[in-house]
Amino acid sequence: MLRRLLNGIHFPLIISVVALAAIGILFIYSASYRDMGGYEAKQIFWIVVGLGVLIGVPFVGYRPILSISYPFYILTLILLVLVDFFGSKHLGAQRWLTLGPIAIQPSEFAKLGALLAVVNFLGSYHPWEGQVKTVSIALLLLVIPLFLIVKQPDLGTALLFIPMSVVMLFLWGVRKRFLIATFSAVALACPLAWEFLKGYQKKRLMVFLNPNLDPLGSGYTALQAKIAVGSGGLWGKGYLGGTQSQLHFVPEHHTDFIFCVIGEEMGFLGSLLVLCLYGFLFHSIFLVMQHTTDVKAKMLCGGVLALLFSHVMINIGMTFGLMPIAGVPLPLISYGGSSFIMTCMCLGLVLSVYKERSIF
Amino acid sequence: MFTRFHFFQVFVFVLLTLLGLGLFQTQVVRGHYYYELSKRNRVRLIPLEAPRGRVFDRKDRLLATNRASYNVIAIPEDVFPEVYPRLAKLLEMPVSEIRRRMSAGREYPFAPAVIKEDVDQEVAFRIEERKPELPGVSIRVDGIRYYPYGETASHVIGYIGAVGQDEYAGLDHDRFGMDSKIGRAGIEKVFDESLRGWRGGEQIEVDARGQKVQVLSDRKPEPGADIKLTLDLEFQKRIMEMIKGLHASVAVLDLETDGLLALASAPAYDPNIFVSPSASGQRLQVLKDENAPMLDRGINAAYPPGSIFKLVTALAGLDLGRITPQTRFNCTGSFQLGPKSKPAHCWNHEGHGSLNLYEALERSCNIYFFNVAKRLSPDEIAHYAHELGLGEPLKLEISRIAPGLIPDSAWKRERFNQPWYQGETLNMAIGQGYMLVTPFEILRLTSIIAKNGRVVEPHLIVQDRSLMMEPPRVAIREENLEVIRRAMLQVVESDYGTGQLARVDFEKLAGKTGTAQAPPLQAHSWMTGFFPYKDPKLAFVVFVEHGGSGGITSARLVKQILETWRDLNAAPVA
Repeated sequence: MLRRLLNGIHFPLIISVVALAAIGILFIYSASYRDMGGYEAKQIFWIVVGLGVLIGVPFVGYRPILSISYPFYILTLILLVLVDFFGSKHLGAQRWLTLGPIAIQPSEFAKLGALLAVVNFLGSYHPWEGQVKTVSIALLLLVIPLFLIVKQPDLGTALLFIPMSVVMLFLWGVRKRFLIATFSAVALACPLAWEFLKGYQKKRLMVFLNPNLDPLGSGYTALQAKIAVGSGGLWGKGYLGGTQSQLHFVPEHHTDFIFCVIGEEMGFLGSLLVLCLYGFLFHSIFLVMQHTTDVKAKMLCGGVLALLFSHVMINIGMTFGLMPIAGVPLPLISYGGSSFIMTCMCLGLVLSVYKERSIF
Repeated sequence: MFTRFHFFQVFVFVLLTLLGLGLFQTQVVRGHYYYELSKRNRVRLIPLEAPRGRVFDRKDRLLATNRASYNVIAIPEDVFPEVYPRLAKLLEMPVSEIRRRMSAGREYPFAPAVIKEDVDQEVAFRIEERKPELPGVSIRVDGIRYYPYGETASHVIGYIGAVGQDEYAGLDHDRFGMDSKIGRAGIEKVFDESLRGWRGGEQIEVDARGQKVQVLSDRKPEPGADIKLTLDLEFQKRIMEMIKGLHASVAVLDLETDGLLALASAPAYDPNIFVSPSASGQRLQVLKDENAPMLDRGINAAYPPGSIFKLVTALAGLDLGRITPQTRFNCTGSFQLGPKSKPAHCWNHEGHGSLNLYEALERSCNIYFFNVAKRLSPDEIAHYAHELGLGEPLKLEISRIAPGLIPDSAWKRERFNQPWYQGETLNMAIGQGYMLVTPFEILRLTSIIAKNGRVVEPHLIVQDRSLMMEPPRVAIREENLEVIRRAMLQVVESDYGTGQLARVDFEKLAGKTGTAQAPPLQAHSWMTGFFPYKDPKLAFVVFVEHGGSGGITSARLVKQILETWRDLNAAPVA
């Protein structure tokens, strides 16, 4: 039984997941042990569940999962609408839905829902037969959850939809001119979207361009995050030795700003290790993509890769001022059950693609 | 072949490398700089409160402004233990209190804690001089609210107070800090949003001794907007002097702009005691005072209107065609509704004899209005009261509710589960019984009569008149309003009128007095009116709680008020 379960599993990918999760536990503890949050214990529980999902998904196979992608998509939309009515507010945004003892973040699952639905839809059409209609419907599938997420408002998650959509369309074989047309449309829509942004979101974007605008609020967070990461230097201040992140200069340091703790305590070498582990993870996904001839599988892996990659870029980039301060978790490391399980589901799909790879 | 797949692969790894280079730049190249900043955390955030907008009167005289206050602040993380006794001696406060202030909740780590607010300049200088012995302690000059005229317009301007801890959590932190003040009453409360500016702050880099090295970035606080009121400070001040010692309220309206020239209520309080932290004893005293100095008697307290309400009864009778101005009733000094009823009396027990409507209003005869009331239902009277704004919500900036009561049969059924008795209509017709109104509502009623039926909504903020809409009219015939105005003229100008004492020698005044029974104490004294009779410029109401006869106490005040107004406006504008 176990043998059958583990047969055809891509072990390098699993190893990088386990390594990143272990780093996560270490630094969630470091970030929160003074507050007695017990977050690391909760995270261990989520990691166990997540690893179960990671191993379980290939056992089911990605094809059956793709076949229920539309109902799943509808379900995630319903959850997004529910969060609008019953969601709990946190820092001015409605993101969490409380189901008994656990709070879930529907926007995390909406990313996966949209990914699966678009892959299934695009994969059923050949790029050579009229692209206009196909691409329009695919974009519509993406825009509906995007709109609901922007409304929450969760700008960070919404931003992540863009690279994911571009990569899936790109790998499917969309014509370059459509890609360019879509980009121009987005660029034109930006001033319009600006009007819809909440005051604090406008502020975040403005502060991203010029942190001096708000030295008391976001600018302060940006500067303190930068000091935390930068002060780690080459070697870091040692595990549990960080002063910036420990003293609460950096907010939410066990979730979105966990990289500040890593950067401060483990220095550039520790940061590099984390980057390399992500690089290794992405490399594994590329390898899996090379082994499949199924267009849907290829788009699926590409979408997952784009999603995780943009998480990493935004999250790490924001700690030293390369990216705006957006509420985006660091995959597999940040504290949070919804995020961890969603990431494991995505990677489970990749593993399943590898397991069902075409044998030449 | 270089496929889209390869392009994607290269793209991902190039960006990942860029991320790594960015980290290298931050952590290795600039690492030392950030390390220095992080040691004892060398960055301090000093919030700067925005100066609050000022409040001016109609002639740009300051009613509320800000003065400089020296606050002793300290960043607890920078303070050494030996500083406490030194500071305690300088500030003359116990060490335990300083410690308590230091450990109070703050907005963020390394934020300054306020140790003592508004210290003497001398103390502030001494602390600045001895700064080397007092690491972490400094003087911050903040603006503090100051009301130069104290009690003069306290009920209109209101006051500000500190934000509570629970309240702070729900507020916009760009605009409110933990030590911020918020408007608690009057204009300060209602216009808090615009009077309050936007907070600013400085991120400064400090050295190991807590001294500023450089400003890393800053945002200037944006001052709040100023507000200009329609009040005339000098007029208001003199009126406050006239009613000092009484429980009274006076409101004077400029009928050209519908702006209030004066809105005075006595006793009043000094709003400065709510600002200064050292005045907590005085605050407590004011809040506990049984004379209720915090209460604005003009807009937030309701009283029986007494004979003033006869204006409404008369209008209802005229407009419904139940009486004409020449309808006569005979006053014998007492009145019986039915053979078994308890007789009701006129204030003049000897009786006024036969009167028409003008004479009845002029002499304020109760019996005449009992007879009018017999021809009216309570709901008809209530309808006209509402038409003239009694019991209707206010549109005054600092108050929207009229706490009074205009009873009718439906109200009585609901309240007491009893039918309305005709005897109660008699009481209602002369403004007694269940009825309660605020002096401000009476002012509005008089203004509507003075402006020949144009709806008047008195206001306090100077408005752009070109943007004002043509006000609607009340559904009462103009000729009937004309009758009432003439009767009001007689109240003052006739030698039988109840308001003779208010007569002034420079113009003709029209008014109506009221003496509302308030047993077991003395009656409430009322007078309202408009001036001059032809082409009215002012409307006013004077109310003195338990002040006795309206024709004496209030009428005398009216005379003084009008003379003051004349003096202020006749004098060449300096």
